[in-house]
This record gives sequence, C-alpha cells and structure tokens, in this order.
Amino acid sequence: MLPYLLGLAFLFSSSISYSHPVIYKDGTMIASQNMQMFSDNQINYSFHQKWATGLNLWRFNRDNGETAQFGLVRLNHLLKRWNSDDSQANIYLSTGAGVAESNFEHKGTKAGLLGGAEADWETRTLFTSFKFYQFSAPKLVDVSISQARIGFSPYEAEFDKLQSWVMLQAMYMPQVEKNVVVTPLLRFFYNNVLWEIGSSLRSEWFLNFMVHI
Amino acid sequence: MKKLFIVLFLVSSNVFAAEISVKVQGMVCSMCAQGIKKKFSTIKEVKGIDVNLGQKIVTITTEEGKDVGDDQIKKIITEAGYNVANIERK
Repeated sequence: MLPYLLGLAFLFSSSISYSHPVIYKDGTMIASQNMQMFSDNQINYSFHQKWATGLNLWRFNRDNGETAQFGLVRLNHLLKRWNSDDSQANIYLSTGAGVAESNFEHKGTKAGLLGGAEADWETRTLFTSFKFYQFSAPKLVDVSISQARIGFSPYEAEFDKLQSWVMLQAMYMPQVEKNVVVTPLLRFFYNNVLWEIGSSLRSEWFLNFMVHI
Repeated sequence: MKKLFIVLFLVSSNVFAAEISVKVQGMVCSMCAQGIKKKFSTIKEVKGIDVNLGQKIVTITTEEGKDVGDDQIKKIITEAGYNVANIERK
C-alpha cells in the first residue's frame, strides 16, 4: 500500500514548499523541501479560498540510517486571516491520514495520521512564522516538528520582479535529531515560482522549491 | 443637431475601455497575488491587469465598451485571499 501511495505522491509532486498551505481558489501548489534529516514533498489544490486538499510525503532520516515516512492525504484549512494595508497574518490548521512506514524503534507499516497548525505574519520586507506538526502511527512511530522562521527582504520588489529574502529557520524534531537545527537561508521568488537555499549551522544543505499553478 | 450630439455621446461612452482601480488589503507578497492576475485574465471583458504592490492597487483595463461589475471584482479578490478596500472607475 505504502509504495503505491508514495509512488502516487512522487508522480504528482516533482518537487514543495514552505509557504501557505492554502492559496487562492482553484490554485494548485507543488512543493518540495529537502534537508539531510527530512524531506517533504506535496501537491495540493485549493478548492476554496479557505480549504485545500492534496498528497503529502514526509521522510525522516536519522544520522544512524534509520528512516520513517508518512504518505498522507492532507486537508488544510485557513482558520483566520488578517488583511491590513501593509501586512497579512494567517492561522492554518492541517490534518492528514494515510500510511506510515518506519524502522525507528519499531519496524513495520501502519496507518498514519497528521495534525498541525501554523501561523505567519508578513509585510513586504518582514516575515515571521511558526508551525507545529505531529505525525503519529500508533505503536509504530511518532514524530513532531516545531519550526520557527524570521526573515527580511532588503528591498521592496514590484509584482513582476525578483524578490529576495534572508531568513533564519530553527527546527526541532526530537525523535529524529535531539538538537535544534538552525538554518540560515536565502529565499527568492519570481512570478509563481519560489526557491530557497541554505545550510544549517551543522553544515546540512537545505533546498526548497515551490510553484503555484 | 442636439439629438446627434446626444447619440454620439451615448455611443462614444460605450466604445472606450474602462480603467478600474481596486485598492486591495493584505497584498504584500507578489507570488501570493498571482491568483489575482490569473483569475482576471480568464474574464473575456478584461483586456489587461496591472498589479502595483507598492500602492496595493490592482488596475483592470476592460475591452472597449465592456465593464466588470463590482460584485465580480470583489468575488475574485476575496477568492484570491484579500479584501477590497475601494473600487474606482476612470
């Protein structure tokens, strides 16, 4: 079951993101986030300005070679948005269900679940976000992710120009890596494409790609 | 003669393209605002779209003699995730 789900997820997700889990109505987001200790590939479709659904594949990699992965059907909800003249703030909720496979403490394949929330606030030159995800496959594996970001853009780019950001990301996944992993990164976006590149303070590369269709 | 002017005025007022300026709240990210351009581009009455992130204004240029109603504009902006603060026609 898992290989089929993973195959399907990969077929539809050439690569992910780290941005809003719900975009404009009828918009599709394809994104791929990759780091040595994890990868996150997803495709989702916003069927309403407050709701999106899609496929999501997470893979967690411990330094000792043990891995856990979750292939999920996701449902994301924009719980609240504050639009003001110069800023936007959002709160999102996410849930998912699918299959988990792990060889962490226990080996096997079981049903997997996801619950999470994220919040962000941004202006044209400032950005901050926080998210918490809990992955769970009872009696097999649990993984939690806490991630915070702050960033700034040195200039205000116009609609059709390249926008550049400098960001600092802190990520904590205690079941995968006992330390908080801090990653300085650069974010760029141009029209409907976003990409990020960085390296953690322990020299792990970080690559992120996202496109809105 | 007076009737001719009135007729010419009525005809000409429907021939020119309209320019609609929409003040949008929350439009701070160019990538996220792509949905606005994408949606308006599918409307046959719309000739062009210009997004000014600095002023937070979306300018819609219509085809000659065509218009896009306020309700439709508000629907598209709302579905893109933003709020309409003001709509002006030139």
